[in-house]
Amino acid sequence: MQKISEMNLKTPRLGAFVLKLFLSICMLVFASTAFAAEQKVVKIAFRAAENGFDPQQIEDRYSVGICENIFESFLTYDWLARPVKLAPQTVEKVPEGEEGGTLYTFRIKPGILFADDPVFKGKKREMVAKDMEYAIKRFRDPANRSPYSWLFEDKIVGFDEFVDKMKKANKYEYDTPIEGIKVLDKYTISFKLREPDYNFLYFFAMPIVVPVAREVIEGYPTDTRGHPVGTGPYVLKEWVRRSKIVLERNPNYRGHTLSTEFADPNDPWDQAAIKALAGKTLPLIDRIEVYPIEEEQPRFLAFMNVQHDYIEETPLQYVQELYANGQLSSAMQKRHVQRFPEMQPEITFDTFNMDDKIVGGYKPENIAFRRALVHAHDRPAEIAIIRRGNAVPVTSPIPNGVVGFDPTFRTMEQEYNPEKARALLDLYGYVDKDGDGWRDMPDGRQIILEFKYRSSEEASRQQAELWTKNLNAIGIRMTSVSQQFVDLLKDRKVGKYQISNVAWIADYPDAQNFLQLLYGPNTNISNDARFNLPEYNKLYSAALKLPDGPERNKIYREMNRVLTAYAPWAYGVQRLFSHFINPWVLGYKKHPILYTSFRFLDVDMAMQKASMQ
Amino acid sequence: MSAVLTNTPTAAPLHQASPGLWTLAWRRLKRDKIGMVSLIVVVFFLLLMLGSYAGIVAGNWSKEVGVSYANPSFMAGAENLDAVKAKVDANAEKIPYVDLSDIDPLAPRYKEWEERTAKIKITETPRSDTLIFGGDKWGRDVLQKAIKGAQTSILVGLVAALFATVIGTTLGAISGYMGGKIGDFLEWFYNIFTSIPYILLILAFAAVFSSSPSLAPYRGVPMVVAILAFTGWTGIYRLIRSEYIKHASREYVKAAQAIGATHSRRMFVHILPNVSHVCLVQLSQHVVQFIKAEVILSFLGLGVPVDSVSWGTMLAEAQSELVIGKWWQLAAAGISMAILVTAFSMLTDSLRDALDPKIK
Amino acid sequence: MGAYVLRRLWQMIPTLAGVMLLIFVLFNWVGGDPALVLAGKITNKEQIENIRKQLGVDQPSYIQLAYFGFEVATGFTCTWRSYTEKPTDSPKPTADAKADTKTDTKADTTDAAKAAPSGCQAVRSWATNEEVPKILTSRIGPTLTIMIPVLILETVFGVILAIGVAYVRGSLTDRMIMMVCTVAMSISFLVYIIVAQYYFGFKWGMFPVQGWSDSFWKNLTTYAPLPILLAVFVGLAPALRLYRSFFLDEINNDYVRTARAKGLAEKTVMLKHVLRNAMIPILTNIGIALPGIFVGSFLLESFFSIPGLGREILVAVNRSDFPVIKAATVYLAMITMLINLAVDVLYKAVDPRVSFK
Repeated sequence: MQKISEMNLKTPRLGAFVLKLFLSICMLVFASTAFAAEQKVVKIAFRAAENGFDPQQIEDRYSVGICENIFESFLTYDWLARPVKLAPQTVEKVPEGEEGGTLYTFRIKPGILFADDPVFKGKKREMVAKDMEYAIKRFRDPANRSPYSWLFEDKIVGFDEFVDKMKKANKYEYDTPIEGIKVLDKYTISFKLREPDYNFLYFFAMPIVVPVAREVIEGYPTDTRGHPVGTGPYVLKEWVRRSKIVLERNPNYRGHTLSTEFADPNDPWDQAAIKALAGKTLPLIDRIEVYPIEEEQPRFLAFMNVQHDYIEETPLQYVQELYANGQLSSAMQKRHVQRFPEMQPEITFDTFNMDDKIVGGYKPENIAFRRALVHAHDRPAEIAIIRRGNAVPVTSPIPNGVVGFDPTFRTMEQEYNPEKARALLDLYGYVDKDGDGWRDMPDGRQIILEFKYRSSEEASRQQAELWTKNLNAIGIRMTSVSQQFVDLLKDRKVGKYQISNVAWIADYPDAQNFLQLLYGPNTNISNDARFNLPEYNKLYSAALKLPDGPERNKIYREMNRVLTAYAPWAYGVQRLFSHFINPWVLGYKKHPILYTSFRFLDVDMAMQKASMQ
Repeated sequence: MSAVLTNTPTAAPLHQASPGLWTLAWRRLKRDKIGMVSLIVVVFFLLLMLGSYAGIVAGNWSKEVGVSYANPSFMAGAENLDAVKAKVDANAEKIPYVDLSDIDPLAPRYKEWEERTAKIKITETPRSDTLIFGGDKWGRDVLQKAIKGAQTSILVGLVAALFATVIGTTLGAISGYMGGKIGDFLEWFYNIFTSIPYILLILAFAAVFSSSPSLAPYRGVPMVVAILAFTGWTGIYRLIRSEYIKHASREYVKAAQAIGATHSRRMFVHILPNVSHVCLVQLSQHVVQFIKAEVILSFLGLGVPVDSVSWGTMLAEAQSELVIGKWWQLAAAGISMAILVTAFSMLTDSLRDALDPKIK
Repeated sequence: MGAYVLRRLWQMIPTLAGVMLLIFVLFNWVGGDPALVLAGKITNKEQIENIRKQLGVDQPSYIQLAYFGFEVATGFTCTWRSYTEKPTDSPKPTADAKADTKTDTKADTTDAAKAAPSGCQAVRSWATNEEVPKILTSRIGPTLTIMIPVLILETVFGVILAIGVAYVRGSLTDRMIMMVCTVAMSISFLVYIIVAQYYFGFKWGMFPVQGWSDSFWKNLTTYAPLPILLAVFVGLAPALRLYRSFFLDEINNDYVRTARAKGLAEKTVMLKHVLRNAMIPILTNIGIALPGIFVGSFLLESFFSIPGLGREILVAVNRSDFPVIKAATVYLAMITMLINLAVDVLYKAVDPRVSFK
């Protein structure tokens, strides 16, 4: 448009000028009406493929991320509050734990409708308490083989007994009531727990613990993953599995607003979000297109070539191309791109197999051996070279951003110090006994450690490379084995490994979700280290019975100390992700627990149209 | 296919004249300039491989001599990419270390430990800002890596091709010479292998090798060789089989039968020398093919282990480096591979021409 | 001829059985336990047992193999479990679910004709629960959109260039072209893709970096050109070398010398005699390459985000999605065998010297 008007000013002849002016006005009018009719569209890439959208059948972050927009959990997180804070979504308020934290009652807001679907036969379908009861029961229906069934194992009164009974009868009857799940009236549901659990409410903010309509599940018995029907702001419009997911507005959706109560007045992102979204009925985006792209180069270049509106979790090795030394590159500045840094509630670590005859054990010399390995592991190099500076070291299993995180917990025992490593090995008799130049066990056995890593990940391979190099430098022989994901999972689960690298991201933002990974009775369940120390187990059980507070934090600190001394893990890092946002994307903010931001977003369409392909 | 092949009368002599054939071929090859140049290049690479095997060249490939992504010397002026150190919060530095001594089983020997630590000094060698052809992510010399990578890749290519040729030739010989039930069985076997898409076959074998505990000692280079050989023998089998079908009815074989030569003697002593030129050409063709296939295996994460390096693992690693402007590892591995593979292909052509005097 | 085709079809059965057996042994016996991947991060024994039961991998191998055989026989449109189960066990889809009932009623009528229970359900992916035949049919389109143009361009350019260089054989042009070809095919495909995506796609903006759309024309004209170009560039060199050798084979034949001796122009000799005869090995070669176009290139498909079969197979293997792997293998094996048969039959049409034995 601008070009045309410039040209007009230079045009000497009046007639031509008027004609051109008329034409350009026509074009402007035409263009603006066209805009009004057009949809607000956001296009982004996911870094891995999704598995489907039946909330009670899935686990991967990408599928769950889509479910966030289609379904609504009872509770959610306040969008701007940091640290994260629960807020009601479809219920009237966040319930208080009654009867010593064993009883939770939810009151659903009346009038919340499911999206339209042929199974409802043209009638509007209201979401009621029974839908949640049905959904919770689905978690343990063997046919769903839900990866999240553990959420409701050994938890609700009568649920385990119900499942056992159904198992014996070889069917799963949804109509049989469960003692601990009571539908009190159309809109009220309560859960009675066997033991107090102060994290129970977090479950109800997970985008998979959401009500589903029984008609829908039974209406599409063979493909519930392709027919998600929820009460959320979007519906699944089109799904080309593993290559394209299209969401469009749910016309039945009642709308939500941005809560500004807990916004940080000093955070420019919060202020920008408030400016763009506050007071408006959300969502504002009409259509969302998500493209899973597993290779990093095309995903990155697609953003660079403005095929996508923003890029999240930019491959770490590419970040410094756009952002280095605390500022955006000149190309990005010219494009007015912004960088949103995010530390997700996750940690990486290298786990030792405590049952192994060489790296395992609880005797002082076993501990000394592991501690020496930890000292030998060059974590600063991991951060500088493998993560290209986009990570911070962690000192305990509890990452920053999770309730129970202790910023004052700083240890010497997990720091890189090859001198100390050598001294410790010498001290406990791990010296070369057979003269082959490599250290041996105090009893003379040879040491050849094996590091198992996932074959399809380049970063995993580099970890293996670093470990091998570091251990060779202190005289310990190490080989590495690349395995396909399934084989690696199996070997870790059954304890057929010595050292392997793992990452864990929070299911809910509480330390317990991380500390359970080392709880003795969880061996073969989630405790891949097979760590079983009575002291630690006792502390873990004690912490479970307490709500968040200084008393529980004290126990957490004690647990961290025990772990530092016994070293079942070599702690890794917490990655610092960079999301790059094009200037026409308004109000962007990433929530650390929720995966997508579509519900709190706006776009400047004119600017988007002018820039995007 | 057989129709095509029968159109080509072979130059196989009727009497035992293999020395003559090879001498003649060598003479023809010597006259072929491209062939000789290629031969020199290939021999050069083989010497390089032996040298690196003996540790004469690239013995220090794994030493980190430069800074991360050190620039090549010819780009000395360019700014190096800083290895970004974790930003240490000044306040975090002030936090005191947590005391473990009340629960630490190692606490009784803290003092001894400290004393020993004080005696150990590890000095770090200074890192250079530039390397001849640049450095990789860890600051290793890319040129040395490429040489070391050549050793692994050529070894993998040669050994795998050798195995594939042996498998293909043996099965092809049996199938072509014996025919009948055995021939049918081998044809069946061959059909199975060629009906499954190559990539699936590779992935399936890789899965078997990486998960089977009894094969654990052979992980690494032997595994790569085995995957390539077991999936790559079919082409050779086909050719050798048709050669054997042709030769089995030749007079010299019948003559051998008349003087009482056993089947295996006829197959491997009488006929084999007359088809060995086909084997040789196939062998060198497969070396090239397997060197290229190793790259794909590495891309899939099924390549050689981390304590060795191959062109494939270099390329897999370098795929993310082009975007950040560090093109030299991609170039070093890509170019050295291209040179060798080109030379090997040209040599194969010349060999074929030399061995088959009809084509000029 | 008819008898020949019948006999060949009959011979396919043992081969197919062999393919099934091999793939079954490789993945079921030696491959990892798929239950673990599906079970998620926190699992217990009971959960894993349940998943194994749901997937049917808790059964003895011979029974699993038998089920597999049944699935193959029905073209993966019916699992043994759904075939034998009483229809009341699985709730019927609601009549209003229009999109779904369409396909379901179709299945119902064919089943009714066979007087079988109407619970027949297609084999489904373990990872996404999508029907396997549907996965394969929906992925084949994009793969062919890339691979058919590749095959055509490769053949056309290959033949034209080959006859050209064969015509000037031994000259500097010939040697230069062959040299360039050899160098071109010596560079790894991975390098081509990375470099081309970066330079042609990103730096110079000549093609989109990646992408795919719903419209065939848009795909063919916008998204496919760069992948096609790359595949042709890599495939052309070997094709050219091969075709050139076919032409040279023919040129050295006696009949060509006779034709020349008769005083025919070199051009006529080349186009009329040499080309016609060289077409036989060329067609054979295309026949050999033809099944490959259905597999596609997983490298191209994953780097350019093409929702094709190659990428699908790779994902399936990484996730131990056995139903998809098995079905893809069996289908592709059948396609391969059928094409080989078709080529042999065509062969006869082109070359009267070949007889059906």
